[in-house]
Amino acid sequence: MSRKIERLINLTIALLATTRYLTKTEIFRTVEGYEGSPETKERMFERDKDDLRSLGISIDVGSFDPLFADEAGYRIKAENYQLDLGEITPTEISLLSLAADAWQDAAFADAAQSAILKLSSFGVPADPIDIPGASQKLSNSSADLETITGAIGTSDLLVFDYLSTDLVAEERTIIPIALSNKSGFWYVSGVDNQLQEIRTFRLDRVQGSLTVRKNKDAFEYPADFELNQVDSAATLRFAIIDVRKGKGHALRTLATSVKDLGEWDQIRIPIYTIEYLTAQILWHGEDVFVHEPADLRETVISQLQELLINHE
Amino acid sequence: MSKNVSAPLLRTARLLDLVPYLNTHQGIALKELATHFDVTPAQMSADLTTLWMCGLPGYTPLELMDLEFESGYVTIRNATTLSKPRTITFQECVALLLGLDLIAASLPDDRHDLLVAISSLRQRLTDLFGIPVKVSAIPAASGEITNAITHAVQTSGGLLIRYHSLYRDEISERTVMPIDLYESSGHQYMKAFCFTALDYREFRVDRIDSAKSTLVSTDVVEQKSTQEKITYSITAKQPSRDVAERFAIADMPAGGSIELSSYSRQWIERSVMASGGAVLLTSPLAIRDEVAKKAQLMLNRYKEA
Repeated sequence: MSRKIERLINLTIALLATTRYLTKTEIFRTVEGYEGSPETKERMFERDKDDLRSLGISIDVGSFDPLFADEAGYRIKAENYQLDLGEITPTEISLLSLAADAWQDAAFADAAQSAILKLSSFGVPADPIDIPGASQKLSNSSADLETITGAIGTSDLLVFDYLSTDLVAEERTIIPIALSNKSGFWYVSGVDNQLQEIRTFRLDRVQGSLTVRKNKDAFEYPADFELNQVDSAATLRFAIIDVRKGKGHALRTLATSVKDLGEWDQIRIPIYTIEYLTAQILWHGEDVFVHEPADLRETVISQLQELLINHE
Repeated sequence: MSKNVSAPLLRTARLLDLVPYLNTHQGIALKELATHFDVTPAQMSADLTTLWMCGLPGYTPLELMDLEFESGYVTIRNATTLSKPRTITFQECVALLLGLDLIAASLPDDRHDLLVAISSLRQRLTDLFGIPVKVSAIPAASGEITNAITHAVQTSGGLLIRYHSLYRDEISERTVMPIDLYESSGHQYMKAFCFTALDYREFRVDRIDSAKSTLVSTDVVEQKSTQEKITYSITAKQPSRDVAERFAIADMPAGGSIELSSYSRQWIERSVMASGGAVLLTSPLAIRDEVAKKAQLMLNRYKEA
């Protein structure tokens, strides 16, 4: 086993030290550890390349003279191998350690600690900072985060069954572009293959596991996509509702304007979906009354009629 | 390092990372080195022995790495090729970015300097990869409040909180002694002894508007749980994701009856109301009647208007 490890280290050193591409013939002749028949060496080398790449080491393939199709050569460029974060300060080292600790036992804890191990080689001492708020933790121990991150990095397709609002599991295929955590929930955003539009999915609504499929087409990263963007006021519709004084706090926090009506307040709130807002309004019972728009008002009334028929 | 990497590859990665680390930590004790890389001293000796055999093609003493570790202290020479730290993987980058986001959100207001440092780090980490790395983490509750709770839990201290009860739809001020901060189904909760209710209560952390530390007498706090659960039954007329999530039910057969329980009568009533025509409450009858009465009153108001 340690012979293979030695060979991988020697190959890395040789490919890093060279200033030009090394051909396979040169590698087999000079790098220690390549023995046996030509086929055996060939197989060894192919596996070694895959192994190094799986460690995140990028190997460049090229030729000496682009005008002639001669034998391909290999090298590892120092700028691809080395970590270049510029000058790192002791404070920054501490911040990165705190960031890694936020994972605790969650999915990325190993990845985070492995990054910190690499950073420790800079030899920059940490400058302990006291942030009382650093008690926040990222929780999620599922392997999904690794799968999703991998697919974001390679722009591959992510296939999964997603629970629709009608409680039906529908197969979705997306090219994931973002991963986020908000109020304790994990979300993945991506370009939906069918709709060709960006959609965001809550991970706990994914049924079963996510699978990755190789994306053979070129993918252009959507340029104008920003996480946590607020829907622009121009595209949003607003509702006018009355809320009893001292009540309806959940709705009040959304209000863009408030008018004092004495026993009641009249507030204006954005409508994300009629269904969601209807449920919010019904939750508050007699403490909320809808004025407009007409479709919201009608939906609330028809739901109330059904409630009455069902429970009479 | 990702868990799906095999043991020999993990060891290869460790050897590659050892070289730059030794370069900046010449003369480090073997034991300390082993601890830093989370292996036994024996494994570390084996690693160093393997590394000692590696170097540039030619593999004469001129090209091999020069390691000295028999004294129990480790030095390295002639290892310029691997002397710089290895770059981080995409996954490692994402892990750090998400962690940094979380810290940024918990910074006290007077540490603007740290916020600047975090945003610079985020930019530099993102620049390592050719694609825009879009990840973000927004904590469930304001860092200030979780800090206060954590501190109170650690010191058995009291807190004066302003709490928004969604079930009662009221904002109340209470004095509590927090005993636990935990997460469940995507929300953070504080378990505390409530001096208003004189009993243990659970509070959703994101509904705590403010929290100030206060003095409490701990002898009142004793284990007791007098709350009783209410059993209720619902039938899903139109099964939907919203209803499944609201009542936290995994399997919802259309038309089938499901028996559930809750500590709060108001919560049951409001959840049924919010579900509109999708859910029928079959028992208890008292709550069912209340739902019908409420719906009638509300309908009357819409007819009048």
